[in-house]
Amino acid sequence: MAAPMELSCWGGDWGLPSLHPESLTVMAYAKFSGAPLTVNTINNSWRAPKGDVPVLISEDIVISQPAKILNFLRKQKYNADYELSAKQGADTLAYIALLEEKLLPALLHTFWVEAENYCSVTKPWFASRIAFPLSLYLPGRMSREALNRILLTRGGPPLYSLTEVEAQIYRDAKECLNLLSKRLGTSQFFFGDTPTTLDAFVFGFLAPIYKVCFPRVQLQEHLKQLPNLCRFCDDILTCYFRLTVLGHSPAGQDTADANLQKLTQLVNKESNLIEKMDDNLRKSPQHPPRKLTTLKLAAGGEESSPLNRLSP
Amino acid sequence: MSLVAEAFVTQLAATEPWPENAALYQQLKEEQILLSDNASSLAVQAFLQMCNLPVRVVCRANAEYMSPSGKVPFIHVGNQVVSELGPIVQFVKAKGHSLSDGLDEVQKAEMKAYMELVNNMLLTAELYLQWCDDVTVEEITHPRYGSPYPWPLNRILSYQKQWEVRRKMKAIGWAGKTLEQVLEDVDQCCQALSQRLGTQPYFFNKQPTELDALVFGHLFTILTTQLTTDELSEKVKNYSNLTAFCRRIEQQYFEGHDKDSSTTVAARSAKRSLLR
Repeated sequence: MAAPMELSCWGGDWGLPSLHPESLTVMAYAKFSGAPLTVNTINNSWRAPKGDVPVLISEDIVISQPAKILNFLRKQKYNADYELSAKQGADTLAYIALLEEKLLPALLHTFWVEAENYCSVTKPWFASRIAFPLSLYLPGRMSREALNRILLTRGGPPLYSLTEVEAQIYRDAKECLNLLSKRLGTSQFFFGDTPTTLDAFVFGFLAPIYKVCFPRVQLQEHLKQLPNLCRFCDDILTCYFRLTVLGHSPAGQDTADANLQKLTQLVNKESNLIEKMDDNLRKSPQHPPRKLTTLKLAAGGEESSPLNRLSP
Repeated sequence: MSLVAEAFVTQLAATEPWPENAALYQQLKEEQILLSDNASSLAVQAFLQMCNLPVRVVCRANAEYMSPSGKVPFIHVGNQVVSELGPIVQFVKAKGHSLSDGLDEVQKAEMKAYMELVNNMLLTAELYLQWCDDVTVEEITHPRYGSPYPWPLNRILSYQKQWEVRRKMKAIGWAGKTLEQVLEDVDQCCQALSQRLGTQPYFFNKQPTELDALVFGHLFTILTTQLTTDELSEKVKNYSNLTAFCRRIEQQYFEGHDKDSSTTVAARSAKRSLLR
């Protein structure tokens, strides 16, 4: 029916399919609307597309920005929004604008401008996925672009200083998170039970904040205090992205259960082994009682009862 | 301003009532002010009218430089100077007047989201049209922006401002857009606003809020400003409930104040023609 579509974007880590918010938005929308996209993560090769990422390539058409990519998918009849009323469509636009104005500066700051985060996490991660020698230059350029964007949209002329702006952008971001949480309430997605464009955008922006482990994490801590947003991200990850992670099995949930069973068996075996070791140690006369106390602390709750009789 | 300083200022603000001689500063109305600044200024004026707080409009050529954040309009109330609609709304709230108290949490979130939509799309589109569209820049913006100053200062100032705005457009990704795409975005934004407004008198039914003031400021300015082409105002005129909305607010809040030293906004805007 439709031509095969390929999406080039940044890869993922920490349980996410991608670290880049825009790439994540497009991938989430494709999952929601059922569009068959083959995802190529940018790896250490020179074949990476020039220009903005994510890029959708379908036959000869090359589209680069998320809004345009989503429009293209909608024209190809992969529409996640057809059940929305006109007013909900308007709300979608408004909330996306809110995300871009209030949350994006803080997201960019956490990833690219905050010195500790950038040097210890972001730069090595991106550099490892870009071919040498571009890996020396490109992360620096992305960082400078992020700083530029923050200063030009939030800073005041003529001095454009970052320190005055930092406090303000984090405050705005926390307010934005609060507003999103209030809007989401207790429902599963923003407009009822099926995910839409707005869910894709919110997921794209929130998931990197939620999952990526940074040294300086004030935004993540704030997000973790909003349980319905965390639950929203986790739901989308488990329902829509686990299928690709576990392989092309149609019963993704069954495979998850099987894995869980295996894990439980492993844990049981381990605890049996530990019990046997404890028995051996107790029977052997060379070990002083002091050793037994440390064993008691290291073992689980069930091991402590037989050892209680032996503690000094 | 740091958080502590802001909290301090809010405390100070809360103690004094609104004075009689509050002033709102903007650029010169007839010769200098541009579309985007006029829209922002009108939004603030509408908001203050809706709160029933008297303010007089003072026009100064260097208003932009007097402002603490570099943006017009700003208000001078008692000892404090506050600029831009967002901080002004908070400042007025600290003094005890608020238009959005009756809204519940979800509605407040929606209101803030729609205000960001207007700022993100309409304001950016206005800035694009004024500073990145060559025809408009040549014929309208450059002559107007530096008009109070002698040559060569007027050219230098307008080129400097143009460079700044173009940098900003490049950073947010609007530099690659053509005028048609920008007008498309404006259309989308107006469609969203129109759908949200529906048949209600105001965005949140019975009472006007700061969102109504902001939307009025931008739409009214777009409708009444003459540019090189009429495409922008045509996009807004496509939505009849938005034009009716603007007319309603104008009649209710601006025409009853003929006795002020500044004449009504409507009369002035109608007389103004930006083409030279």
